[in-house]
Amino acid sequence: MSDNKLILVVDDDPDLVESVGMKLESEGYKVAKAYDGVEAEEKIKEEKPALIVLDVMMPRKNGYELCTQLKEASETEDIVVILLTAVADAVSSTSYTHMDGKNTPADDYIAKPIDLDDLMAIIKENLE
Amino acid sequence: MDKEISNVWFKPRVLVVDDEKRIRDGCFKMLSDEGFEVELAETGEIGLNKINDHHFDIILLDLMMPGLSGLEVLPSILDDHPDTVIIVITGYATIEHTIEAMKKGAFDFIPKPFSPDDLRLAIAKALEFIRTLQGIATEKSRMRVLINHLGDGVLATDNKEKIALANPAFIKMMGNKTEDVAENVIGESVENLVEDPKIREMIAEALRSTGRDFPVLSTEFHADDSENVYTATCVPFRDRLDRNLGAITVLHDITAMKKIDQLKSDFVSMVAHEIKSPMNSVLMQLKVVLDELAGPVSDKQKEILERASERIKALANLSSDLLDIAKIESGLIAQEKEMLNIAEILSNQTKFYKESSDDKGVVLNLELNGTLPTIVANKQNIVEVFANLISNAIRYTPKGGTVNVNASTKNEYLVVKVSDTGIGINEEDLQRIFDRFYRAKNEKTRNIAGTGLGLSIVKSILEAHNGMIKVDSTPDRGSVFSAYLPLPV
Repeated sequence: MSDNKLILVVDDDPDLVESVGMKLESEGYKVAKAYDGVEAEEKIKEEKPALIVLDVMMPRKNGYELCTQLKEASETEDIVVILLTAVADAVSSTSYTHMDGKNTPADDYIAKPIDLDDLMAIIKENLE
Repeated sequence: MDKEISNVWFKPRVLVVDDEKRIRDGCFKMLSDEGFEVELAETGEIGLNKINDHHFDIILLDLMMPGLSGLEVLPSILDDHPDTVIIVITGYATIEHTIEAMKKGAFDFIPKPFSPDDLRLAIAKALEFIRTLQGIATEKSRMRVLINHLGDGVLATDNKEKIALANPAFIKMMGNKTEDVAENVIGESVENLVEDPKIREMIAEALRSTGRDFPVLSTEFHADDSENVYTATCVPFRDRLDRNLGAITVLHDITAMKKIDQLKSDFVSMVAHEIKSPMNSVLMQLKVVLDELAGPVSDKQKEILERASERIKALANLSSDLLDIAKIESGLIAQEKEMLNIAEILSNQTKFYKESSDDKGVVLNLELNGTLPTIVANKQNIVEVFANLISNAIRYTPKGGTVNVNASTKNEYLVVKVSDTGIGINEEDLQRIFDRFYRAKNEKTRNIAGTGLGLSIVKSILEAHNGMIKVDSTPDRGSVFSAYLPLPV
C-alpha cells in the first residue's frame, strides 16, 4: 500500500528512532536511520529517501539547517521533510530555545510528544 | 510654667547684656536659681566678644546702652548665630524701637520694669521655641542620616518636579560615580538626574493624582550601563488640604533576586526537559509493544502496559507543567501577542475535549453570546487557559453531569465562564486552589489525576494579560470558573 517507499528517521534519541522505525515498517515502509544531522546528510546521498522525519534539536547539524539546505538544492528539494519540533518547549535563556517549525521550509511538522498514529497520518498525507 | 524651665534636657546658656547693674544682678540671681548658666555683659562690645567666644541659647539684650546700642548689636549676633533666641529689654516704652528690634529678628521683648515672673514667662516661651527648633533639627538630622545610609535609592521631588533630596544610593543607581552630585542636583529638574523616561513619567503621574486617590506606582527597569535591575516605587505626599506637595521615589535593587530566580527557572526547565524527552520515548516504546509490532501481547500484558502508559503520561504532563511554570517565571509569557478570535479558539477547544467528555458521559456545551470582539493576547497562552479550565471541569464532573462554556462581554472585559455540575470545592480549598502544587484532597478527588499546577498557570497567564480569574463553587453542586480578559481599548 505504500509502494515500499524509503523513509529516513533522524533523531539523536535511538529509542525514538527505533519505535518510529518499527511503526513505519509495520505500515510497509522501508526505513533508514540516522542519529545526527551530518549522518543524515550522508544517508540522504546514499539512499535517496522519499521522506525524512527530522528532529530539530540535534548535535553536529540541527534539523532547521539540514532542512533549509535540502530545500535549496535541486537534487534534494523534492524530498518531503517532516520536522519533529518541541514548540511547547521554547524556554528562554537555556540552550533549548528555538523557533517554531512553521518558520522553516519544511513540508509539515509534528510537535513532540509524538503520537505514532498521528505521525503515520501526516506521513501518508504528505506522500500522496 | 516652672516645669518647662527645669525640664529641659540641656543646661541653657544665657547672656544678659545691660548697662544697668541692678538688672544684670537681678537676672543673674533668678536665672542661676533656675539652673541656667548665666553670663553678664555691661556693654554691647563686651557682649559681642562673649558671643564670639561661646554660643548662647538665649540673649537678654537691652536696647538703650552707651556705646553700641542693642539695635546695632542685634543683627551681628544673628548673622553668626541664627538659632540664638534674642529677647530685647526695652528700657522705656518706645514702641518704635521694639518694633524695629522685632523686625531685625528679636524673638520677644520685656518692657522695663519687669518682675521675676515676667522674666520667667519670657524665658519659658523662648525655651519652648528652642526646644521645637531642636526637635526639628534632630528630626532632620536623624532623617538625613537614615536616608543617606539606606541601601535603597530615595528621591524626593517637589510639585514642580524639582529635586528636593536624592540620597547617595539613588545617585549611584542612576549611574553616577561621584557622591557630590547629591549636593549639586538639589533644586534642579528631575531630568538632570533621571534619564529613564519611565521613572519621570511615574513622578509626573504621581503629581497629577488628586486627593481622592493615592496611587502607589511601581515599575521595573534596567540601569543603562549595568546588569542591575531595580524596582521603582513612587508615591505623592500631600498637605492637610490634600494638595500634592511632591513625590517620593524609592529604588530597590532586585538584581540578585532576579538572578536567583532565573537560575531556578533554568534549573527547573533543564530538569523537566531531561525528564520529558526520555518519558516520551518510553511512551512510544510502550505504544510499539501495545500495537504488537514487537510480537503478540496477551490481554493481561496489554492491560498492565496501558496502565503503565497512563502513569508515564501523567509524569510527562507534570514535566510540561513545570516547563510552563519556568516559562512564566522567566517572563517569557505573553510576549508575542496577536489578534485572537476567541469564538474560534473556544469552539476548537470544545471540539477537542468532546471525545473525552463523551467517553465520560458528561455533556459539554458552548454558548457564545453575540459577536465576540477579538482580543489581543498570546495564542498559545490563551489556548492553555481554556484547555486547563475545560479539561478540569470534565475531570471533576461525574458521569451524567454537564459542563457549560459561556463567553460574553461585560464592561471592559471578555468573560469566559466554565461551569460544571461536578463535585465542587470546599471553602478551605477555595482559598488555595490557585497555589502551585495545591490539590484538594478528599475521597472524591483521590482518583483524579493532576499536577496541581494547572490553575496556577491559568492565573499567571491571565494576570500577565492584565486579566483575572474568579471562582464560585458549592460542594456537591458544581463550580464556575470565570476568566476575564481586557478588551482592546
